[in-house]
Amino acid sequence: MESATIPARPARRPRDVVAEFISRFGLIAILLILPVAYGIQDLQNEGDLSRLATNIKDGLSNGAIWALIAVGYTLVYGIIELINFAHGDLFMIGSFVSFTLMGTIGLTVATGGFGLFFGLLLILVLAMVACGSLNVMIERVGYRPLRGAPRLAPLITAVGFSFILQNVGLLWLGGSHRGVPDLIESQKVFFTFLGVPVSHGDVLALAVTAPLVILLINFINLSRIGRAMRATAQDPQAARLMGINVDTTISFTFLLGGLMAGAAGLIYALYQTDVWFFAGFTAGLISFTAAVMGGIGNLKGAVLGGLIIGIIQQISDNRIGTEWTPAIVFAFLILILVFRPQGLLGEQTREAG
Amino acid sequence: MTATAQRLRRNAQAAGPRSRTAARIATAAAILAVALLPFFYDSGSPFIEDSTVALVYVVMALGLNIVVGFAGLLDLGYVAFFAIGAYTVGWFGSSFFSSRNIHVGVAEQLTNLPGIHLNWLIVVVIAACFTALAGAILGFPTLRLRGDYIAIVTLAFGEIIGRIAVNSDEGVFGIGDFNLTNGRRGITPVDKIDLPFVERFTTLDLRPWYWTALGLALIVLFINFRLRDSRLGRAWIAVREDEVAAVSMGIPTVRVKLLAYALGASMGGMAGAFLGSFYNTVNADQFEFSFSIFVLAMIILGGLGSIWGVVLGAILLSFINTRLIPDVLNTLPSEVGLDFDLTQLGFGIFGFLLVIMMVLRPQGLLPEKRHKAEFAHAGDEDIVREVQA
Amino acid sequence: MSRAATAEDGRGTVLSDTAILETQGLTKQFGGLVAVSDVSFRVPERSIVSIIGPNGAGKTTFFNMLTGLYRPSFGRVYFNGRDVTRRRPDQITAAGVARTFQNIRLFGTMTAVENVLVGQHARMKSTVFGSVVRTPFVRREERRGREKARELLAYVGVKPERFEQTASFLAYGDQRRVEIARALASDPKLLLLDEPTAGMNPQESEQLTGFMHQLRQDRDLAILLIEHDMKVVMGVSEQVTVLDHGTKIAEGEPQKVRNDPKVVEAYLGKQG
Repeated sequence: MESATIPARPARRPRDVVAEFISRFGLIAILLILPVAYGIQDLQNEGDLSRLATNIKDGLSNGAIWALIAVGYTLVYGIIELINFAHGDLFMIGSFVSFTLMGTIGLTVATGGFGLFFGLLLILVLAMVACGSLNVMIERVGYRPLRGAPRLAPLITAVGFSFILQNVGLLWLGGSHRGVPDLIESQKVFFTFLGVPVSHGDVLALAVTAPLVILLINFINLSRIGRAMRATAQDPQAARLMGINVDTTISFTFLLGGLMAGAAGLIYALYQTDVWFFAGFTAGLISFTAAVMGGIGNLKGAVLGGLIIGIIQQISDNRIGTEWTPAIVFAFLILILVFRPQGLLGEQTREAG
Repeated sequence: MTATAQRLRRNAQAAGPRSRTAARIATAAAILAVALLPFFYDSGSPFIEDSTVALVYVVMALGLNIVVGFAGLLDLGYVAFFAIGAYTVGWFGSSFFSSRNIHVGVAEQLTNLPGIHLNWLIVVVIAACFTALAGAILGFPTLRLRGDYIAIVTLAFGEIIGRIAVNSDEGVFGIGDFNLTNGRRGITPVDKIDLPFVERFTTLDLRPWYWTALGLALIVLFINFRLRDSRLGRAWIAVREDEVAAVSMGIPTVRVKLLAYALGASMGGMAGAFLGSFYNTVNADQFEFSFSIFVLAMIILGGLGSIWGVVLGAILLSFINTRLIPDVLNTLPSEVGLDFDLTQLGFGIFGFLLVIMMVLRPQGLLPEKRHKAEFAHAGDEDIVREVQA
Repeated sequence: MSRAATAEDGRGTVLSDTAILETQGLTKQFGGLVAVSDVSFRVPERSIVSIIGPNGAGKTTFFNMLTGLYRPSFGRVYFNGRDVTRRRPDQITAAGVARTFQNIRLFGTMTAVENVLVGQHARMKSTVFGSVVRTPFVRREERRGREKARELLAYVGVKPERFEQTASFLAYGDQRRVEIARALASDPKLLLLDEPTAGMNPQESEQLTGFMHQLRQDRDLAILLIEHDMKVVMGVSEQVTVLDHGTKIAEGEPQKVRNDPKVVEAYLGKQG
């Protein structure tokens, strides 16, 4: 069925382009309120931006952790449109695994350079594998049987798993915060960049996150499984018809998300020198906010969102008070979902069903 | 449906009036039995206390059922309405605002106390209004969102309210220094309920509390039944099933959804106002996320959208929480020879039950006949997929 | 808001001069894709009009703009003289437009009667308070609503024993009928039917054709169809509009349109 001519595609209307511009930069503007406001306050009070710069630096390091967790949320949501509620608690398990393995392997502050390096590398791998497998198991047991059921069902199982994991954490290391040996001397300053002291912890966060993220992005873009993931995310039916094993692809996606959460767990344990069974709940919500902010389903968006949220969180912790930070982050989440649900890097979606 | 089944159905409907009367009599008898229950126990017995709490949870569950069960809006932040209702009685039924001196409809003894003291009946109405408004405000951002996102937004809202509750002893969000909630220390004591024509309630005699809770539960139950079979109730179900088709049939979905949030919230608020007085304290520790899930579990266990199912689910889970878990879990380990405290496992067991419930019987114990159809189709999709694979 | 009809009135058919529905330059863009481009179109009062065109021509998108589900990128829609371009779908239905869907969208867990009751939502006035208290007004309205629902179901040909059956368990043909009854429940002045004969055999299609004539007479409304079945189109339409790749390529009396070379080409591809 051909027609005489293929109709020309007109350029997008000016009105649409402007609306998109306002929407995207409106979001950016809202995100900038806190840093800019406190920056101005700093300049008035102290005359320089060093405190703000430190906030931002710390925010980026924390943000790296959120970015890794957010990646897990966004990958899973992209492929089966499910918010894996238990993902934050998976991260917490990763931190617990890391902490426990430090004791098992016998890493202490006295352990020397190479031993420490390879020890931590081993723990990283083990934590990642543990969380990855756990995630795959959760999908298999709790989500796959409910693929056809109404939306509420897998959400409830997700919450159920979240509670189970929290209880595991509670029984494992108790209800109080546990101090992690400061193996990398995370507060010690490594070097100073533009007047801002960069500590070991900061370097760790960057050194672990950056390669993992780059590897992941390349893997998804270049590998066969990555292509299968993207195809399934776009259209599971078509993917199945192309011969892609959708079930395996989904399991693999959960594996990847879990790997990232495990890595985040180790970084967190070393950087904060603290683990707590309830840390996953808040971390999960913050990371999910990051994923939404970046554009759910968009991998680079999740990373970007994580870094931004980290900065906002750090400014809030430092200036307003840690007790208010979760409420502030959640307020941002609501704002984003109301005014620009597709986030920074997401695309405009269709208006109606 | 086979021809036989159809015929049977027709017969059942023909027997309509008679079976309906029978059902009505059975219901009345059950309500009477429940009302007379306290007479079989000491006036201060723990059983009456637990039963009172169970009845309050029935009210909450019915409220959440309107939002999640009827209208299909995944609300994970219901604790916010419980909190607002409780703080309402804390503000307007105690000596918290000691700089003020307002007394309306309260007994002689109280008029000497500082603070705002309004009669509980007035307070419960205010609580219903506050929470209805809060419900509409909460609902507003969710109007254009899809299922999972509604869950997250409502969850975030619940968390925000929770944080405000914990932190607002000196200013809200770090602004000002007004003591809104007294944080973790909470507001206590709270005035006892004082209904006209009867003596003021006390902590010793739990029976008036029980009957008030029962009255509240019956009113809410009545409202639910009437709404379910009304124009609005049908609109809710239509919106839940297929929002595009619903709006194309002339249903103003915005209004309908906001009404669901507001009505459901107001029930939570009234329950909160009752509990605030019953527990004699309103305290930020009472308002955590797990509460929202607890109430949600009740309606899922009972059967989403099924009114009697929800009542059953609420009573069951409430009693499991107040009786079974402390009693059984405390004694069981030692009987089996283990050494640790099983109450520490409460959370995890609850989570485990949630997973089991959704995987094995997602339609609940007493499913509404509609949901049988919904979950039946879930199975069909699996069959189709197996055939295609 | 009635200009001279763009459809050519040949011999015989006298199309009303007033339009119940009119669009001017209606366009819909999704990002870079233009689904409907600059369609100006009229439905005369009490007429039966068909929209045809190859798959993907933008017909359902066009429908969705008429009912308010999509917001047009450009252009205007007028119903009964009023501009309804940016109105919400429920407002447009309340104004007097009703529709069925290409893939049947009944409320599966409701009975046939309840589905048709929902269709009456915009015409009912029961309030929340009234419903809880069950005032005489509410009781009367509910009773009358159910009677009307049963009448409509009987009118479209659903057997009484199926009235209280859950919609998702009804046979396909009955589901289609219930959908039409539900649409009629809001007393529309314009009925939009999106591929009403999909899945029907020739006898059923013929029945539907006769039904549409009956409907127009009994209920004093206009019908706008999207249809693929040419027999139905020829048999029932007074005016046919052809869309291809989102633009209107022909419009007029059925026979004339059928022989229009542009239309033939759109369906069959270039000849020779």
